[in-house]
Amino acid sequence: MKKNKLYWRICCIAAVFLCIITYTPLVIPQGAFKPMLGGIPYSLWTSFIITVLLVVLTYIGTRVHPGMQDEEDKL
Amino acid sequence: MIFWVWIFGLIYAGLLVFASLKSYKKGRSSEEFMMAGGNIGLSLGVLTFAAALFSTFTFLGMPDFFRINGIGAWIFLAVSDGAMVFVLLWFGYEIRKKVRGMEFRGVSGLISRCYENKLAGYTFFLSAFLFLIPYVGIQIQGIAIFMDAAFPESLPAWGWSLGIVLIMLTYSEIGGLKAIIFSDAIQGVLLLAVIWIIGWACLDHFGGIGQMFEKVGSVKEELLSTPGPKGLLTPQFLLASLIAILMIPVTQPQFTTRIVVMKSMKTMKLMAVSLGAFAILVIIPTIFIGMYGADLYGEYSSQEFFAMAFLNDQHEAVAALAIIGLIAAGLSTTNAMIFAMGSELRGLLTGAENVIMKRTKIGIFVFSFIAFIFSIIVFDQLVLLARVSFAGTGIMGPMILLGILSDRKISPVMIYLSLTGLAIFLMSLPGIIPNMYFGIRLDLLLFIVLGISAIGIYLTSEKRIVTDLKVNE
Repeated sequence: MKKNKLYWRICCIAAVFLCIITYTPLVIPQGAFKPMLGGIPYSLWTSFIITVLLVVLTYIGTRVHPGMQDEEDKL
Repeated sequence: MIFWVWIFGLIYAGLLVFASLKSYKKGRSSEEFMMAGGNIGLSLGVLTFAAALFSTFTFLGMPDFFRINGIGAWIFLAVSDGAMVFVLLWFGYEIRKKVRGMEFRGVSGLISRCYENKLAGYTFFLSAFLFLIPYVGIQIQGIAIFMDAAFPESLPAWGWSLGIVLIMLTYSEIGGLKAIIFSDAIQGVLLLAVIWIIGWACLDHFGGIGQMFEKVGSVKEELLSTPGPKGLLTPQFLLASLIAILMIPVTQPQFTTRIVVMKSMKTMKLMAVSLGAFAILVIIPTIFIGMYGADLYGEYSSQEFFAMAFLNDQHEAVAALAIIGLIAAGLSTTNAMIFAMGSELRGLLTGAENVIMKRTKIGIFVFSFIAFIFSIIVFDQLVLLARVSFAGTGIMGPMILLGILSDRKISPVMIYLSLTGLAIFLMSLPGIIPNMYFGIRLDLLLFIVLGISAIGIYLTSEKRIVTDLKVNE
């Protein structure tokens, strides 16, 4: 239970971190589209990875959310 | 094409009638009618949430947004949706925990109880009314314009709008929320299939993803990076959009209702993950269609681009499917919004249950009529109006979150601040006051100020004494 709380917090921090870096020049350098990956412009492939990571984090969140596990036990 | 429209149209209408009759039950309670009995499983849950979220705004608006503003549109919607499903997981748990053991009568009713102040409910209702109804109106208008392009001189645009509103009213009156959820499921599948068929055809025009961006770069290089050719997608615009979209499950009643009516916590959390995957799958082909438009129809108006990319350049059967898909997309989203407004109204009414239901149904009719009027008189870009709608309702986010998360007796100051924020935002729309202060966008500034105020009010509130808890029971 305690571990789940910690994992959930890590998920939340990771989600906030991913959101923040998206709006920095690390992901959206103004006016730059290189380096490309498989012909895909830089901001698109980096932000695509971020989107996938956010969905993966949500999945991990469903496994470790401490309150939800309580709820399932009650059911 | 008309032959194919009839074929697909009849199949779609048949499915709607089937779903509507399946949902109809004589002598059903108002809870069954308005809340679908609170028993929605995973597949229906994902599709209804997705269909309510991805509408004509995604189907037409996003390809157009990619065409005009370039690849930054992905960050505007897909990254925001990815973060939104995470918020959905967290908020879904909190709101379901809050409403456990009591009858959920919309966010307005819930928030009135949380603040022990009816003004909170009215404030939320006002923001939903002001920002959802015009959005519904413009969606209806989007379908009408598209139909007009497909069948010129058959009906005036308002005739198409009226037809859509009448179908919507009849459908929701017969089947209630359950019928709307079934129609959402049909629309969700249809939307995904049609957008991929058209997207694939557009990608095929280039011969591959790499060639697509190479060609688009040679046409207009700014489309390959932010802020795009028009300079719209700045970090600040994208960040404010993120916050507005994050607030969708919190502040848009059609989504909050869907979270609450899910069968269990387990289905709700699986729905959040599946929705994230669905969002990625739906938005990817809109890039292909948008880039196709940038290559061939860069200088065309939105309407001309829709007519070319979705109708003229497609096989007749695909074009017909696009028409039916668009009708389905618009119908289910507008239906969900109008019905949610009715549900919110119900939460604010008091008296005998049959009188409340009667007034709620009259309310749904009135909201539909106002949306119809808007569909005739309002003209705006679909995505930008959607953005205003998300931001406008998003202003209520801190007030709702504070009400739902707080275990303390909350000061009504938060309600007054939210009302003030709403008034300020409204004044900025027609330009009565500027929409930038100290180099910061007004919507972003309002989110920050209201968010900090909510934290401050929580910290200075008194702890509830145990007997106060009875208010929620």
